Amino acid sequence: MGSPRAGSSPIADDGDAFRFCSTCAFSASCLAHGFDKTKLEELHLLVAHVGPYEEGDHIFREGDPFEAIAAVRTGTVKTYVTDSEGREQVLGFFLPGEVIGLNAISQARYPCNAVALDSVMLCRFSFPNIAALATRVPGLQQHLFRLLSEDIGKAALLAGNFTADERMAAFVVSMSRRHAARGFSATRFRLSMTRTDIANYLRLASESVSRGFSRLQDSGLLHVDRREIEITDPVKLEALARNILRE
Amino acid sequence: MNNRLEFDLDLLRRCDRPGPRYTSYPSAPQFSTRFTDADFRRQVARSNQEPIPRDLSLYVHVPFCFSPCFYCGCNRIITRDVSRGAPYAERLVREAEMVAPLFDRDRDVVQLHFGGGTPNFLNAPALADLVDSLGRFFHFSNARTRDFSIELDPRSVRDGDIAAYAAMGFNRASFGVQDFDRAVQLAINREQSIEETLSAIDACRTSGFRSVNVDLIYGLPRQTLAGFLHTLNTIVLARPDRVAVYGYAHMPQKFKAQRQIDDRELPDAAERLGLLQVAIERLTAAGYCYIGLDHFALPGDDLSVALAAGSLQRNFMGYTTHAESDLIGLGASSISHIGDSYSQNFRDLPPWESAVDQGRLPIARGLLLDEDDVIRAQVIQQLMCRGLIDRAQIETRFTIDFDLYFAESLARLLPLAAEGLVTFDGSRIIATSRGRLMLRIIAMCFDRYLATPSVSETQPRHSRAL
Repeated sequence: MGSPRAGSSPIADDGDAFRFCSTCAFSASCLAHGFDKTKLEELHLLVAHVGPYEEGDHIFREGDPFEAIAAVRTGTVKTYVTDSEGREQVLGFFLPGEVIGLNAISQARYPCNAVALDSVMLCRFSFPNIAALATRVPGLQQHLFRLLSEDIGKAALLAGNFTADERMAAFVVSMSRRHAARGFSATRFRLSMTRTDIANYLRLASESVSRGFSRLQDSGLLHVDRREIEITDPVKLEALARNILRE
Repeated sequence: MNNRLEFDLDLLRRCDRPGPRYTSYPSAPQFSTRFTDADFRRQVARSNQEPIPRDLSLYVHVPFCFSPCFYCGCNRIITRDVSRGAPYAERLVREAEMVAPLFDRDRDVVQLHFGGGTPNFLNAPALADLVDSLGRFFHFSNARTRDFSIELDPRSVRDGDIAAYAAMGFNRASFGVQDFDRAVQLAINREQSIEETLSAIDACRTSGFRSVNVDLIYGLPRQTLAGFLHTLNTIVLARPDRVAVYGYAHMPQKFKAQRQIDDRELPDAAERLGLLQVAIERLTAAGYCYIGLDHFALPGDDLSVALAAGSLQRNFMGYTTHAESDLIGLGASSISHIGDSYSQNFRDLPPWESAVDQGRLPIARGLLLDEDDVIRAQVIQQLMCRGLIDRAQIETRFTIDFDLYFAESLARLLPLAAEGLVTFDGSRIIATSRGRLMLRIIAMCFDRYLATPSVSETQPRHSRAL
């Protein structure tokens, strides 16, 4: 009996004492400047694999002292805040290779909550150390800035006055690109977040998300089977997303 | 799919063996009491959170019958006391009141089916109240394509009932006939006249029902070719949209009522197949399409259209045109299918009643499908609904190498291929015109649970395939 879905499951190739993990958010900039894993060890840079966190486990909570940023190795992390009435606001979803905790850099405490949506493994970078390393590795500093600005950009995108379909399309295209960036299929992937979370993130009603997916499906742009998404007309979908993603 | 059926008596006799009907995979004997109402709630919550949550199907079981038909293997209670209907209906409403809020409000009920037992054991006003209450807790679809169906015993249908059912929103009716042959009717304790049956079918037509189904059974005691042919001729003239021809499964150890049947009066294997053959020939000659397993439909019927379009589905209620929906079973013994889970309510009335009275979901047992179950369920669904297995499609959908994954199943399929029941055509495995009648036998090759029968099994759990 073969192993089902082996090919589509986004599980990172673990590194070892010498090699970075295949999903490492920083390996490219470090290696480009001659810092391989052994060298990082010499700098006492603490890189710790942590987890697994199970569905619903919190990785950090708003107000916790900020000590580290973390790259997602497997699974999906959701960040959110709650307002004074206890209503949840979803800030973002983080897939393998993406970094959580960046929005805490300017402060001493995490400004949001991070929760695992499925089984999550992380690679934790103690922040003072990586900041120190960044001063010696210019590429790493640039990379950190890029990650930071991407993080800010993602939040800003949805603030505009866009239609539900544009928001939906942008969301799916963004997921597709991010899966592709880690070497997984750009046209077939599984959504690990709930309909409620997608709706909250896109500032839409839950029913609007379903109606939006149904409309995109009826127009032949994508096909939805349970949580599996297949993009059947990437060109049209990208066109619909263009106003939000701007490229 | 190829609609032609080939009838090879010798072949059928060689290949026939007991097997599940595959209204579900894994089939009901695999359900376990480890499945709890917490599992059920979790599955419902998950199903609400899919990007496009599925539509809903409701199955409502009414277990009462006025008299016992001796062939019956259904979960039912024989009583002439009509007052038992009201408290049962009240508890159904309370069960619906508990279950419905678990589902998001934007999930429409596109299929409603009343089965039994005898749903029209409840009188028309009681049924109207029940449907009305269900409509308050669930959101009924207003689409023309919705299927609201009811199984009816023509012997209990009174004047005006059918029009009342139509007014409640029912648009499909299913009548049990079995056989009009008087000798057979006496042997099975079901005396039902041609007149009352045909007038009920007529009433459905004049009341605007979209479709009428008639159930026949072959393999009953004292059944003869001539008598069954006469029944078929009568039915064909009435021209119901759908006809089901079930094989009688004689399992008196399991079904008490069947002990009333004298097994010396049962047709032998050759006679059974003869009866099936005459049914197939008569129905196809009259223009009915073979849908699969025991089902036939007129060419314009939704099932025939769906079959041609490759969009046919199958669930606990049989063949349906509705894209896979989540099925909620209400009432004693009813089965639910939510997400990747099956669950079944208590079969007996007392535990079902006391659970509902205590405000607990009356779930007795169930099953969470694992990845392997999901893959095999899809393969068997393709076979039952399209008469083929699309290997390429299964490979893409589940990211498996079909031939490697199913090496064992394919080995079991080889003898059937040698018999000409299936052919391999590129990436497809196709049931031939000889194999179309043996879909259950072909599906059994892909059933992981049949490979390892439990040691404690002393009697067959399943009926014969034909």
